[in-house]
Amino acid sequence: MYRASPFIIVTLSLAVVSPARADGGRPLYPDRAPIAEYLSNDRDAEIAFARSGVPASMADKVGVLVLGAHGYETAAKGTNGFVCYVARSWDADIDDPEFWNPKVRGPMCLNPVAVRWYLPYYLQRTQWVLSGVSRSEMIKRTKAEIVAKQITAPPAGAMCYMLSRQGYLSDQGLGPHGWHPLVVFWNVPGVGTQWGADVVGSPVLSAPSDLMPFTVFFVPVRAWSDGTLDEYVQPSQASDIN
Amino acid sequence: MLSKATSQIRGRHFSIGMAMCALVAQVGWASSAWSDMAPYPKMAPLAEYLSADPASEIALARSAAPAVISDKAEILVLGAHGYETVVKGTNGFVCYVGRSWEADLDHPEFWNPKIRAPTCANAAAVRSHMPYYKELTQWVLAGVSQDEMIARTKAEIAVGKIKAPEPGAMALMLSKDQYVGDNQGGPSGGQFYPHVMFWGPPGPASDWGANLKGSPILSQPSDIMPLTMYYIPIRKWSDGSLYPYPAPSQPEPTQ
Repeated sequence: MYRASPFIIVTLSLAVVSPARADGGRPLYPDRAPIAEYLSNDRDAEIAFARSGVPASMADKVGVLVLGAHGYETAAKGTNGFVCYVARSWDADIDDPEFWNPKVRGPMCLNPVAVRWYLPYYLQRTQWVLSGVSRSEMIKRTKAEIVAKQITAPPAGAMCYMLSRQGYLSDQGLGPHGWHPLVVFWNVPGVGTQWGADVVGSPVLSAPSDLMPFTVFFVPVRAWSDGTLDEYVQPSQASDIN
Repeated sequence: MLSKATSQIRGRHFSIGMAMCALVAQVGWASSAWSDMAPYPKMAPLAEYLSADPASEIALARSAAPAVISDKAEILVLGAHGYETVVKGTNGFVCYVGRSWEADLDHPEFWNPKIRAPTCANAAAVRSHMPYYKELTQWVLAGVSQDEMIARTKAEIAVGKIKAPEPGAMALMLSKDQYVGDNQGGPSGGQFYPHVMFWGPPGPASDWGANLKGSPILSQPSDIMPLTMYYIPIRKWSDGSLYPYPAPSQPEPTQ
């Protein structure tokens, strides 16, 4: 299983075993749900939700994409180079057990570098999803694009914000808000230890990939986009590693 | 009660602003306005920058990161002839105690002998930053003037000896015993937040959405070096204790 999505960090951080399986071991999300379950029936709400990925001081300057039946569409043009959208479950590992979880909603705001480098691939994957491409075919196509250098290692400075209190990143989420507010970085491929990640006391978590040419790093921060502090517990009570 | 909370929030604004001044200690950023009020106009006696006890400097350097990282890191200690490796590492990280000359070349605290900035830099940062910092240290120890340091630095940039940082160059600065500038905070008066620090490509703070109200990232572009520094305050020191941020019910004013 490759690990390249911000979503997978939830299960990484909790060391959850056997996620997204019903009693008896059957996958909870074996197939794509009806498309309508992935869509929002309130366009304005989705725009506001996307904007909640960043603090209010940025939110009115970002570009916004909204998912429709034919893919993501530009709902608002931005002025600061950032683009916000509500990512769906297929931003996870292609073989992630929650790849088809229709409840997943992850507001993400990519900086200009990430918009140029990462967003095209996610938008393309969305098209594959909407046109019914199988997961095995997605893996095959992705590998071919990497070989053809259509998908490349991230350029320096590719990052995004995930600061929404309302995000739903996984069924295995922690607490009332799914997880912690995050700053996310894409870096060159390699193990998490290159950033000192994933060890006791480290403020950094990582998700290396064995498919994609990058490693994702996550820095949990203390405040949500609305300015309230995340409800971190004292170290003696902490269950997460960072 | 409300008044007290408001006062604390205002205090935090001030503290963050001052911390930004201190954080340029990691940047190499020039600000001519500060030169006029420099409280440390010249280099103090060298002994004031050195540690009397190498063992305590090693411990201070290690405190920049959780023990699971710093126990495996290379450790540098400043001596009369520059930084020396006193412990070989195995994980690619290098921990050291930065001194005041890691600041802007014309920063008013460039010669502040109290500055002690424990830093654990990852391998990409070691390759990107340490050669220049070690060279700068040599210039300091040799008595090179700040103007000459600026001239030499610009010349090295022009010939490509100093380049933009590698992707992923970062460091941990999680020591509760840090002293990164006067009039900061904490028991020593020089304590900022525990933070993760990045050497980013040159560009404005807006490239990462930094320095805006509510942003979790602070930044300091450089007008000399081909880089922009970014800082993400986090919640825990390397010893696992929490930084005393305001209660969750209190909105954070800035940052």
